[in-house]
Amino acid sequence: MGQDNRPKTSLTRRTVLSGAAALGLSTVARAQQLAEVKVGLIVPLSGIYTRPGQVMRMGAEMGVEHINAQGGIKALGGAKLKLVVIDCGDTTEKAKNAAQRMVAQESDLVAATGAYLSSFTLAVTEVTERAELPMLTLSYSDLLTERGFKFIFQTAAPASRQSELGLPELMKLAETASGKRPKTVAMLMDNTATSVATAKALKEKIFAQEGLQLVVEEVWTPPLSDATPLIQKVRSARPDMLLFMPNAVSDAKLGLEKINEFGLGQGKIPTVSFSITIAEPDMLQSVSTDAVQGIMTVVANWGSKGHEALIEELKAKYKEPWMTQNVISTYGDMWLMKAALEQAGKADRLAVAQAFRTMDDGPSKYYPGGQLKFDEKGRRVGAGVVIVQWQSGVPVTVYPTDLALAAPFWPKKS
Amino acid sequence: MMQGLRSLLPILVFTVLYAALSLSVTNSYYQLVMTLVPVWAIFGLSWNLLSGYTGLISFGHAAFFGLGAYAVALGQIYFDLSPWVLIPLAAIIGGIAGLLIGFPTFRLQGHYFALAMLAYPLAILYVFEWLGFQEITLPIKRDAPIAYMQFSDHRFYTLLALAMMLATILLTRAIERSRFGMALLAIKQNEAAAEAAGINTLAWKLRAITLSGAIAGAVGGFYAVVLLVVTPQSVFGMLVSAQALTVAMFGGVGTVWGPVIGSAILIPLAETLNAEAGSRFPGIQGVIFGLAIVCVILVAPEGLFWKVRDFLRKRSGPQKMATQTAPDLPIAGSTLAAAPSPRERSQGKGDVVLEVRHLSRSFGGLKAVQDVSFKLRQNEILGIIGPNGAGKTTLFNLLNGFLRPDSGEILLNGREMSGHKPHELCEAGIGRTFQIMRPFQRMSISDNVVVGAYVRASTDVEARRLAADAIARVGLSEIADRIAGELTTKELRLMELARALAGQPRILLLDETLAGLGHDEANEVVAVIQRLARDGMTIAIIEHTMQAMVRLVDSFLVLDHGAVIVEGEPEVVTRDNRVIEAYLGKKWMAHAPH
Repeated sequence: MGQDNRPKTSLTRRTVLSGAAALGLSTVARAQQLAEVKVGLIVPLSGIYTRPGQVMRMGAEMGVEHINAQGGIKALGGAKLKLVVIDCGDTTEKAKNAAQRMVAQESDLVAATGAYLSSFTLAVTEVTERAELPMLTLSYSDLLTERGFKFIFQTAAPASRQSELGLPELMKLAETASGKRPKTVAMLMDNTATSVATAKALKEKIFAQEGLQLVVEEVWTPPLSDATPLIQKVRSARPDMLLFMPNAVSDAKLGLEKINEFGLGQGKIPTVSFSITIAEPDMLQSVSTDAVQGIMTVVANWGSKGHEALIEELKAKYKEPWMTQNVISTYGDMWLMKAALEQAGKADRLAVAQAFRTMDDGPSKYYPGGQLKFDEKGRRVGAGVVIVQWQSGVPVTVYPTDLALAAPFWPKKS
Repeated sequence: MMQGLRSLLPILVFTVLYAALSLSVTNSYYQLVMTLVPVWAIFGLSWNLLSGYTGLISFGHAAFFGLGAYAVALGQIYFDLSPWVLIPLAAIIGGIAGLLIGFPTFRLQGHYFALAMLAYPLAILYVFEWLGFQEITLPIKRDAPIAYMQFSDHRFYTLLALAMMLATILLTRAIERSRFGMALLAIKQNEAAAEAAGINTLAWKLRAITLSGAIAGAVGGFYAVVLLVVTPQSVFGMLVSAQALTVAMFGGVGTVWGPVIGSAILIPLAETLNAEAGSRFPGIQGVIFGLAIVCVILVAPEGLFWKVRDFLRKRSGPQKMATQTAPDLPIAGSTLAAAPSPRERSQGKGDVVLEVRHLSRSFGGLKAVQDVSFKLRQNEILGIIGPNGAGKTTLFNLLNGFLRPDSGEILLNGREMSGHKPHELCEAGIGRTFQIMRPFQRMSISDNVVVGAYVRASTDVEARRLAADAIARVGLSEIADRIAGELTTKELRLMELARALAGQPRILLLDETLAGLGHDEANEVVAVIQRLARDGMTIAIIEHTMQAMVRLVDSFLVLDHGAVIVEGEPEVVTRDNRVIEAYLGKKWMAHAPH
């Protein structure tokens, strides 16, 4: 730490330093009382992405609580996990600065998770990579694990893979439930990085592979101000399936309202999305349960079979109506860190990173599909997807079958 | 030269102290904050160079910043070029963008300019999203980090940023002190007056935005290297443009210190708030930061620098003022006596310098000037009189190029000049003053006057000499270092006169130079004008007050309803019935001597 009290900028610097010093000292004091292992959660807790950040924090807190209640890290003599929460703000610059602060001032962190938006995760991992701090993330941009980084571990299937995994399942579902395969598809998407990556994979490969013809393609820049022209095009084309890909709740609301206003809702045109936005609890504050009934979305993770107790606890403790990807993945990340610590046998970030790289712990309890094992890029081997469907006001897992909490239905054209 | 070096001292001391401070900090987070301070200071300085000095507020500096950032990121991704090469390239791109944006946008003024500028980065933002550059990262170079400006020790970034900041400060100061800076300041105070003083305002504004864009592009490129991730929002977003305004306005507009002070306070403050308050009360940092800015702007609307400077000046001011005001103007007694009356000059016999033929100009249905013709001879003083709304100022505006005549000719030494731009007419030898004075408040008399000298001077030294000469001619040499804001009306009038004289015009157009002056003061100014005439100047003067004019002018041109009603020697004109009617109304005709 720079010990410097030159008068020039000392006023602001001193406050920074004293705060940091106090933090550092208290950590040392506590560490002597009780063996603790610090893990980081760096998520947006201010600005427009606060809500997902808060939800991720719930997952992390529950995870730490459960691990500690069950005896902590056994390989470290029952050391307890300690969660260090850092706000990464709402801009890329803030995220980068927060990450720098995390690695500089929380030098005894052994691993971290979070960042949420892929732009933030990109910036945060540029810092953690250089600091050699292993970083787990639920962000699923392909770019994250294409930079040749050695300290990033992506638990979700990358965006391009999600559409590859999700769409064929949807097609099968449609065929089983309605008796015929969809032939035409309309795609309405915003131009965020996630949507663009998903659409690229769909258009270049998967549509052709599944024999789907793209009849309408419209792109908007969030925020969407009026969905009328988009939905009009869909109505006149009458596709067998609509891919509606918003990444902001307000855009999702506008689109769905128009879809219903034009009489295309409730299964007239089966609607599918590719992110958790459309299944967020906030949706019900804006649209009726009827308007979302039957809508499906392909997501990287969701509260599923085997998580019932967790879902109940989340409801009781945080008043969250259901368990989104943000909760369950972050909860799982804590267990993944525990597993790495057990394997490493010491509270050291390099050892923990090595443990992530060499880990081979079989099927995963908190992430869909695949195993607890990472490939050389840092992608979880065999990471799958979950299909969630709105049923009576709750988005429930309907695929894969072994995780499903309800049977899916294919909305039929009436 | 010595003075220049001495005034550089605070900047050099600041830079050295900052460098020493940054070298002693090893915590990588503080290091990053220490890098961001000069980065945003440079961006603020770039904004200041255009908006601080010209007063044309740009809400869109992110356009240049973002182009620079993307140039560096994309250049490294697609062409494997190093930021060492790409940052200078980013400067060139930023400069070109400045020129391209400036050219159409400078047609707008005030709020319209600000709003138009706002649109550029937002439009470019969508272009980059459309191109698929939502998120790009600078590839990590593990083999040759230094060659790609990737330092493991953050202190190098701080030193680099500091070097760029020092270069920007020195450049800004060099500009501030040259004719470039003077031209920009003149534009800020009064674009019309600047144009009339011979400044090609469009050309200077374009130079300013090009340079400003180049600096913003370079620092944007450097920012990409520091941030490593470039997204349209993080480099073209509203917040980026706002950052430039915030640091400059907080610290002080129109000075190199402003953005540096603003950045040195606001960036660490925001970070401290994010670090300390943000984790306890997420979101509170934004509230505190916003309130802090609001408070400072309320207390110091021009920024901290000027507030502090005014405060210090006030404390050391009183003694200084006393010594400065002591020697009163010497012109009153001595020169009045020496001034020859009009009769003593060879009036009315010189060559025709300016000839106006059938000049007309209407605004809609109002014929402001109709069919005006007159001749102005070498060394003559022509008084243009007439009641309010007679078209006197419009006539001047036609003569110096502010307005284009609908018809008619203006011949300057036989050359047709109507329709030329004001700065061209100024160059051709027509100088003018304004009815409403627009002194450059914070500048000294010398600096105010030197603005007018550049039209004739090829070097700064020559301009200073011309200015000093002009100041001497109006008798303000004793107080040449005083700030314009402290002057009396009479001194301001004389200063404006000196500004017009500094460009060595052949013809002086004086618009109500005696307005607002007391009897004695008016006499002093009249004496100065008479002295100018004696030295060979040709003068046209607009005035209401007949009394002072009668003693001053060789002949009168009387306007009413835009048309010439009488022209001739003072004795004849003042007895003319039409003049009395125009000024006083018909019923006074009876009292007029016949």
